[in-house]
Amino acid sequence: MIEHLSAEQVSQCMIGQRPLELQQHVAGCAQCRAELAQLESALSQFRSAMREPANLAPPPAWRQPEPRPAPWFSWPRPVLTATALLVLAAVPVTWRARSHEQALREQAAQVADSQLLESVDSEISQAVPVPMEPLVTLATWNSSSTEQNQKAQRQ
Amino acid sequence: MERSSTVEWRATAVTSSRELDDFESVVRLHWLRIFRFALASLRDRHAAETLAQDCFFRAYRARDRFRGEASVSTWLMQIAVNLVRDHVRDRRLQFWKRARQTAVDVTAAASWIPATGASPETAALIKEQVQAVWDATGSLSERQRTVFLLRFVEDMDVLEIAAATGLKEGTVKIHLFRALHAVRERIGKAK
Repeated sequence: MIEHLSAEQVSQCMIGQRPLELQQHVAGCAQCRAELAQLESALSQFRSAMREPANLAPPPAWRQPEPRPAPWFSWPRPVLTATALLVLAAVPVTWRARSHEQALREQAAQVADSQLLESVDSEISQAVPVPMEPLVTLATWNSSSTEQNQKAQRQ
Repeated sequence: MERSSTVEWRATAVTSSRELDDFESVVRLHWLRIFRFALASLRDRHAAETLAQDCFFRAYRARDRFRGEASVSTWLMQIAVNLVRDHVRDRRLQFWKRARQTAVDVTAAASWIPATGASPETAALIKEQVQAVWDATGSLSERQRTVFLLRFVEDMDVLEIAAATGLKEGTVKIHLFRALHAVRERIGKAK
């Protein structure tokens, strides 16, 4: 004789599996009977609550969905073959066109890179800053005119 | 427990693939069950409606593949169970964001219980019980909740649940036991 129902035995009862031993115990045990009744009542009320609000959402008017385009593998064999040939023929052309474009793009990028480097190099190699360049020109002009004067005096 | 809808379930289970020819009738006949399951699982009315519609669209598209091995009811429930699983797994974040906006008000749901002339004390107790079961199902894993709802809201037996979820009979029972244990504990705390 079992003392009281275990959690597993309560669950067993709730899903409708009551062996004779459990039935006899429940019939003779007020505590287990009350516990089962309480659980059954709670689940029943829950079921009612879940069913009532759902009634407020009637089924929508059924509209057949748009038919999907036929999948490619269901095309007729000649169409499939022709498509495959076209794809195969287009691949090299596309590949060549793409590789040519890519080469041009890479070339342009290289030119731009080298131009940028050149301009940087030229700026770095300048002896004086850009604002002071007129002074350099003036100094060069003065020195060259002095040399010319000296030459003329020697002659 | 009240088992009147089991009769309804068995009646709809005696179907064949011919039933799918008139799909409008299929929607009319099974909408409530699918929507109710989606609503109880997702707790979001908009998401449940979308999921139920998606379920019927998928069924419509796949109707040629229906072999009649299970009933149309079970087949539709299989689709719904899978959709709920996907929804919970893949869109958890979005779901919870929306759930906050359109979640089912359990107090209102409890108050929709048909009036039976119960005293205010009894009515309060019923609401408390519904709340406790609702809270308990909210804390269950997605699989436990699915199995619990199919058993105690949709009145499906263990074999039907196994067919709808793709789980073994023993696994269904284990999930049911755990779910019931959680519900019992919650009811005990609510007392």
